[in-house]
Amino acid sequence: MNRLFKYILSATLAFTLISCDDFLDIQPTGKVIPQTATEFREFVTNAYSIVPSDRGKSTFRSDEFIMDAALSKEDLNSYKDIWTWNDDSPSESTSSFDWRSYYQIMFSANYTIDSKDKITNGTPAVINQLVGECYMLRAYMHFLLVNLYGEPYTACDPATTKAIPLKMNTDVDKVLSRNTVGDVYEQILRDIDEAEKLINVESWETGLTYRFNTVSVDALRSRVYLYMGRWKEAYNASKKVLEKRSELEDFSKYLPNDFRSVESIVSLERNLTAQFQKAGKVNKTFYNLYASGDLRRSKYYKLLTASNIQALKGGDDNYRCTFRTGEIYLNAAEAALESDEIGIAEAKTILLSFMKTRYNASSFTAKEALINNMAIDDLRAELYNERARELAFEGHRWFDLRRTTRQELQKIYSGETFILQQNDKRYTLRIPSEAVAANPELAN
Amino acid sequence: MSTIKYLLPILVIALASNNVFAKTIQGKVMASDNNETIIGASIFVPVAELKKIGSDKVNVSTVTDLDGNFSLEVPDKTKSIECSYVGYSTQSVPLKDNISNMVITLKSSAQLDEVVVTGYQKIEKRKLTAAISTVNVNDNMLGDVMSVDQALAGQVAGLSSVATSGAPGAPAKIRIRGTASLNGTQDPLWVLDGIPMEGTSLPSMEDLKDIDELYSSSVAGINPADIETITVLKDAAATAIYGARAANGVILITTKSGKVGKTKITFSTRLSFSPKTDIDRLNLLNSSQKVDLELDLLKSGYTYRENKGDVSRIIASAGLTDSYKANGWNALTSDVQGRINNLRSINTDWNDILFRSTFNQEYNLSLSGGNDKATYYTSLGYNDEKGNVVGVEANRFNLVAKTSYRLSRRFKVGASLFANRRVNKSNLTDADGFTNPVYYSRRANPYQTPFNADGSYNYDTDIQGKEDSDLKFNIFEERDGTSYELETKSLQAILDAEFRINDQIKATTQLGIQLDDTNKEMVADHDTYAMRKDKERTTLAVLNNTSFLPDGGKCTNAASTNSQITWKLQGEYSNKFADIHELEGMVGTEIRKTWYKASTATLYGYNRKTLQSVAPIFPSDTWAKQYPLSTKSYSENAYASFFATASYTLLHRYTLGGSVRFDGSDIFGVDKKYRFLPLYSVSGLWRLSDEPFMNEVEKINNLAFRLSYGIQGNIDKSTSSQVTGYYQNITMLPGYTEDMIVVGTAPNTKLRWEKTKTFTAGADMSIFNNAISLSLDYYNRDGSDLIAIRMLPLESGFSSMYVNWASMKNDGFEVSINTRNIHTKDFMWFTNFNFAYNNNKVLKESVPENQTTPGREGYPVGAIFAYKSAGLDDEGYPLFYNKAGEKVNAQELLKLNSYGGSTLTAAEQRDLYTYIGSSDPLFTGGLMNTFTYRNFELSLNFIFNLKMYVKTTPSYSPTNFDRGLNSNADILNRWTSTNTNTLFPVLMQSGYRQAEYARYSEFGLYEQLDTWVKRGDHVRLQNVRFAYRLPSEWVKKASMESVTVALEARNLFVFGANYNNYLDPETMGNQFAQPIPKTFTFSLNVNF
Repeated sequence: MNRLFKYILSATLAFTLISCDDFLDIQPTGKVIPQTATEFREFVTNAYSIVPSDRGKSTFRSDEFIMDAALSKEDLNSYKDIWTWNDDSPSESTSSFDWRSYYQIMFSANYTIDSKDKITNGTPAVINQLVGECYMLRAYMHFLLVNLYGEPYTACDPATTKAIPLKMNTDVDKVLSRNTVGDVYEQILRDIDEAEKLINVESWETGLTYRFNTVSVDALRSRVYLYMGRWKEAYNASKKVLEKRSELEDFSKYLPNDFRSVESIVSLERNLTAQFQKAGKVNKTFYNLYASGDLRRSKYYKLLTASNIQALKGGDDNYRCTFRTGEIYLNAAEAALESDEIGIAEAKTILLSFMKTRYNASSFTAKEALINNMAIDDLRAELYNERARELAFEGHRWFDLRRTTRQELQKIYSGETFILQQNDKRYTLRIPSEAVAANPELAN
Repeated sequence: MSTIKYLLPILVIALASNNVFAKTIQGKVMASDNNETIIGASIFVPVAELKKIGSDKVNVSTVTDLDGNFSLEVPDKTKSIECSYVGYSTQSVPLKDNISNMVITLKSSAQLDEVVVTGYQKIEKRKLTAAISTVNVNDNMLGDVMSVDQALAGQVAGLSSVATSGAPGAPAKIRIRGTASLNGTQDPLWVLDGIPMEGTSLPSMEDLKDIDELYSSSVAGINPADIETITVLKDAAATAIYGARAANGVILITTKSGKVGKTKITFSTRLSFSPKTDIDRLNLLNSSQKVDLELDLLKSGYTYRENKGDVSRIIASAGLTDSYKANGWNALTSDVQGRINNLRSINTDWNDILFRSTFNQEYNLSLSGGNDKATYYTSLGYNDEKGNVVGVEANRFNLVAKTSYRLSRRFKVGASLFANRRVNKSNLTDADGFTNPVYYSRRANPYQTPFNADGSYNYDTDIQGKEDSDLKFNIFEERDGTSYELETKSLQAILDAEFRINDQIKATTQLGIQLDDTNKEMVADHDTYAMRKDKERTTLAVLNNTSFLPDGGKCTNAASTNSQITWKLQGEYSNKFADIHELEGMVGTEIRKTWYKASTATLYGYNRKTLQSVAPIFPSDTWAKQYPLSTKSYSENAYASFFATASYTLLHRYTLGGSVRFDGSDIFGVDKKYRFLPLYSVSGLWRLSDEPFMNEVEKINNLAFRLSYGIQGNIDKSTSSQVTGYYQNITMLPGYTEDMIVVGTAPNTKLRWEKTKTFTAGADMSIFNNAISLSLDYYNRDGSDLIAIRMLPLESGFSSMYVNWASMKNDGFEVSINTRNIHTKDFMWFTNFNFAYNNNKVLKESVPENQTTPGREGYPVGAIFAYKSAGLDDEGYPLFYNKAGEKVNAQELLKLNSYGGSTLTAAEQRDLYTYIGSSDPLFTGGLMNTFTYRNFELSLNFIFNLKMYVKTTPSYSPTNFDRGLNSNADILNRWTSTNTNTLFPVLMQSGYRQAEYARYSEFGLYEQLDTWVKRGDHVRLQNVRFAYRLPSEWVKKASMESVTVALEARNLFVFGANYNNYLDPETMGNQFAQPIPKTFTFSLNVNF
C-alpha cells in the first residue's frame, strides 16, 4: 500500500509539473509587448495621442486673450497667472506647461527607431514610414520644448545659451543636463534629414491625417529654418511644400485649421481646446487687427456682446492642426522678405497670392495697392500682422512674438496692470519645478 | 496489515536479542477529550524500567494500529509501561492484572506536548524549531473590536499593529519583525484554516490618509467570535513553506470547530458606547482670535487670498480696504466695525455639530457539538458600529457552518463555509478634500454658521482646496445630498479530506474557494458641491456656457469580483524507530488561480427618489472619454508550488528540520527563469531539559534552544525587461477610432530577485512548575537586492520605476514572559509581558544621481531627514545650520536661483540634511495583567511603541497661509515686527526675497525643517476589563452552563512624548484622520 501511495503521489506530482507550464502561461488580457509592425504602429499612435496642447496654452501668454472677473473662478485659477506672466507666485492650481509628456513621446520614438530592424510582419515601406514618423516626432518635440523653455534662436547666442536636454535614446537612468539652443536645433535638422530618407506616404486617408507625411518634412523644415533665421533654406523648404500643396481654403465649408480643410498637412495638435476657448475672451485690440473686408473676421470670431468675443477656431478635435498650407505661404513670404538673395518682390508676390483668398475683392484691391508700395519695414510689419490674423489661436502667436518683435505687452485685470516688458526674460518659460526636483541638473 | 509489516523488523530485532518473554500485553489507547481511539500512539517500556528489572534490552515498544489497538510482549518482571502521543501527556501505566484488555486514556496536554498548527502541518511543540507565537482568542483578548487585526496590538512579541484611522472597520497596519521589503505589500499573509486569503493587503499609507476612501480587507469579514486561536509565524523556518507571499510573516487563523459531546449553545453580546471626541488638544482659534488675525493680516499687507474671510469681505463690501490698510481700525465706519465685532459673538462648535457619540452593538450565537462520526459548529454574528463622524458606519452579518465527518477508520472529510455581508458607509468627498467632515470641522471658521436665520443653507465660500472657487458649499447640504456605500459579500468554502494509508502515512487534500463581491455606490444629488463641480468642469463655450451634463445628480456604481481557488495535495509520513528516532516528512503541491473582474457604471441626471437618469449628449469623443459611462477590467493570475518538509528527532531532544518550496507564477514579459522561485529553510532544536543530567534540576521544567536559517525571495511582477503595454482605443480625429498601445512601466533589464536571509536563535524556558515561562528570540534578517520604486528624471519619459535598490538588515530580539505571580484557591494574578526590539539598517543603497534627499545607507529604512533649523533671522525668515555650524538663510543654504531652484548639485543638496530618527518604533510590546478573585476577573492591557518619530505637517505655511480657514494657535505666535521672540516664521510676500519665497511655496521647504519631526512614542492603556462569572449554582437553576458579564473600557489613556496640537500620538502624521475613539462596553456571554 505504501508503494502504491508513492506511485500515486509521484504520478500526481509529475502530472502537475508537466501541466504547470501551461497553467502558468497566462496571456494577460489587453497586455502586449510590441513586436509586429501593427503593434508598433499602435505604440506610436499612443505617442501621437499624448502630444501636449502647450502651443494652445501659450495663447494665454500672448496678446490674443483678455481675462476678467466674469470668467469662471476655476478658469481664472487655472490660467490667470499664465495670462499675467506671474511665474513667481502662481496659484497652486495654475495649469502647468508640460514637460514629461514630450519625453514620454520621445521614449516611444527612440524605442521604435532603435527597434527598426526587429519589427516583424511589415513591409520595408511600412516600417520605414513608421520609423520616419518617429524621427519627425522626436524633431518636433525637441522643437516645441526649445521654443517653450529655451531662449529664441534669433535672440540669443545659440552656441552658449542652455535650453533643454536632448533625449536621443531609451536609457531611463541617465541624468541629462541642458543642451544649448544651437545643439538642439542642429539635432532637429539632423532628425528631419533622417525622416526624409524614410517617410514615403504622401497623404493619409481621412482620420489618419494626424500622422506625419512626406510633405510635413519640408513643412517642419520651413518652420525650423524660419525660427533660426536661415531665410534661404526656409524659403526653399516652403517652396517645396507649396509645389505639392498650394490650394488655400475659401471658407465655403471649413475653417483653414479644420482637419478636413484643403490646407491641412498634419492635423496633430489640439491648439484652442474647449477649456482654453471658454477660459478667455478675445482681446478687442487683437480683434481690431482684422479689417472689415477681411473674410476671417466673421469666420474666426463670434461677437457674443460688444465686449465679449469668442474665438471659434477650436473647441473640439476637428481643429487639430500642426501644419497647414496657410502658414507655409506666410513662412515663404517672411523668408523671402528677409533674404537678400530672394528679395522683397518675391515676398510681395507670395503674400498677395495668399491674401487674395482672405479678403473680399474690394478690400484685396486696396491691400494690393498698399502692399505693392511698401518698403521693407512696413512690409515686415504688415506680414507680422497678417501672420497674427491668419494663425490666431493656433498656437503661433506667442512663438512668433518671442522670436520677432519681443514687444512690450500690457494686460489689465480689475484695474490692476500687468506688464511684460520688451525682451522680458519671461518670454521664455521656466522649466517646471517638478522636473527640476526630479533632475537638479536642470537648475543649472 | 502494513503496520505489522513495519513493526515486524523491530520485533524481530527485539526477539533475537532475548528469548525470555513472559507476557504479552494488549489493549487500546483512547483520547480523553473526544473519546476517539488514537492511531500511532507509542507504547513502550521505559529504558529506566528495563534497567531496573535487569533486562539487557534497550528497546521494547510498539505503536497502536488504525483501530487504536496494540499488542506488545514485555519482559516478565515489567512493572509499568508508558504511552505517549503527539499533543497528549505521556502517561505511565502500571501493569496489574488486566494486561490483555487494557484501556489507556491519554489526556491532552497543555504545555509542551501541545501541537502547533502551521497551516500545512501540525507540529508537536516539543519538536518546534521555528519562532511561532500562538494567541488564544477570547473575550479578554478581543475586547470591543470589529475585526481581529485591530485586536493584535501588543499581543505578540515582534508584531506591531498600528491603527490607520479610528473609523469603524478601518484596517490596522501590521508588521512582523519590521519591514522586510519595500516593494508592494509589507503586510503579512493571512491564512484561514489552511487556505491563504486574498484581498488582505492594505493600500499604501498615503492612500489611507485619504480617509474617506472606503476600504474593507477580507480579514474584516471574519467574525472574531468564531476564532479559536491565532498563530503568528515569524521566522523563515516557519514561513518558508508558504513561499514568496510569506516574506512578511504569516498570521494563521484557526476557527472554532465542534467537539464530541453534548450540544453547546453560546450566546454573547457586546453593547458599546463611544463618546464624542474632545478636540481641545488641537488649540483651534475661537471667533475673536480669528477676527483679530484677519484684521492683522489685512493690515500687514500679506496678500495671499486677500479676499478670503468675512473680515476682508465686510471691509471690501464697504469699499474701505485701502483706507483700512492705511489707517487701521479707526478708518472703518461704525457700521462696519459693528458687523466685524458681531462675528466675534458667533462661535460655531463644528466639532460638536459634525461629530456624535455612538452606540454600537454586536450579537453572536453559536451551536456546536458532535459524536464520534461527525462534529459541527454553526454560528451567526451581527455587528453594527457607528463612527464618531456622522454618516460613517459599518455593519457585518456573519454565518459560519463547519462540519467534519469520520467516514471510516481511514477517511475523514470536512466542509466549512464562511459567509459574510458587510456594509461600510462614509461621506462622499470625491470632489475635493475639504468636503471631508473631519477636515471641515478643523478648518471652517468659528464665525461661520451652517444655516441662515430662515433655515436655508448658509454657503461657505472660504473653505477651499488648492483653488480659489466660488462654487457653493455647505457641509450639511453635502452630507444630506451625497452618499457613499461599500457593500461586500464574501463567501469562503473550504473542503478537506484526510486519507490515512497506515499509521505512518496519510494523504490530505484541501480545496479552498473564496469569492468576494464588492459594490461601491456613490451618489451626489443635483444640489451638492460635488455635482456643481462636475457641472463647472463640463461647461463649454460651444454650448453657450452650459454644461453637457443633464440636470440632476449622478450615481456611480463600481462593482468588483475577486475570486480564488486553491487546491493543496500533500502526503505526510511519520514514524518512530527504536523509540529514539522520530522521522517526519511531508511533500505536497499547491495550485492557485485568482480572477479579478471590475466594472463601473455612471448615471447622470440621476434622481434618487425616482431612480431615473438621463443620458448625457457628449459634444465630442474626447469628452465622452473623460466622463466614461462605463468601464471594465479583468485580470487573472495563476500560481503553482511544490514543497517538502522533513524533520528528524533523536532521543526526544535533538531535532533537525528543513523545508523547501518552489513557487511558480505567471509573469509577463519576464524571462522564464524567474518563473520558479526556490525558498528553503533549515532549523534545529536542542531540548536541554530532557538531557539525563538535567533530571536533577527540578526547578526547570523546560529549557530548549532553537536555531534556524532560511532564504526567501521575491520578484516584482509589474516590471518587465521589455517595453510592455496595454491596449486602449483613441479617437484622434472625429469619426475615426483606432487601437493604441499604452506603455505601462519603464523597462528594466537589470531587475534581479530580491532575497531575504533570516537567521533566528531562540530559547524557551519554564521554571518553578511552569510558574514562569520565558521565550527569547534573536533574529537577523538580511535583505539584498531589495526592490523599490525610484523617482526617475522626467526626461526618461517616466516618473518612476522599480529597481534593485538596496540591501537592508533587520536585527532584534523578542522577549515574552508569562508569569503566574500569585496562585491561591481564590486569588490569582497572571502577567503576560512581551517586548521586542527591532533595529533596521540599510546596508547599501544606490542613490540615484538625481536624488536630492539623503540616501539611507547606515540609517533605518524609515529614516526621517530634515534641515536643521536655527531660529529666525531679523525679518522672520527661517535660518538653518549649515555644515560649518553657521546660521544661514535658505538662499545661502541652497544657493537658490531666482526661481527658487537650488544651483547646488544633487549630491551637495543631499548633504544639507540631518538625520533625525526613524518612523518605525525601536521598541514595541505589551503588558497584560489579569487578576481573578473567585468569580471576578480584572485585566489591564497596556501596549507601547517607543523611540519612533513622526513627520508632521506644519501648522501653517509661511507662503500660502489661507486666511479664509481656521488654524491652530501657532499662527498667532508668528514672527512680526513686534513679536520677534518666536520660532514661527513670518508670513512671506511674493516679490520680496523671491528666491526664498519660491523655495517655500513651490518646493515645500518649510515642511523639511526638523521642527516638524516629532517623537511619536506612546503607551496606551488598550483596554481594562472587569468580568464577573455568575455563580454556577444560580446558573444551573436556569439550566445554563455559565454566564459571564463584563465591563470594558478601551483606549482610556494614551501617554505620549509630546502631542500638543494633535489628538493622538498614533495619528499625528495624518491630522485629518478620524481619531481613535474611546469606547465603553458591556458584554454578556451565556453558555447553554
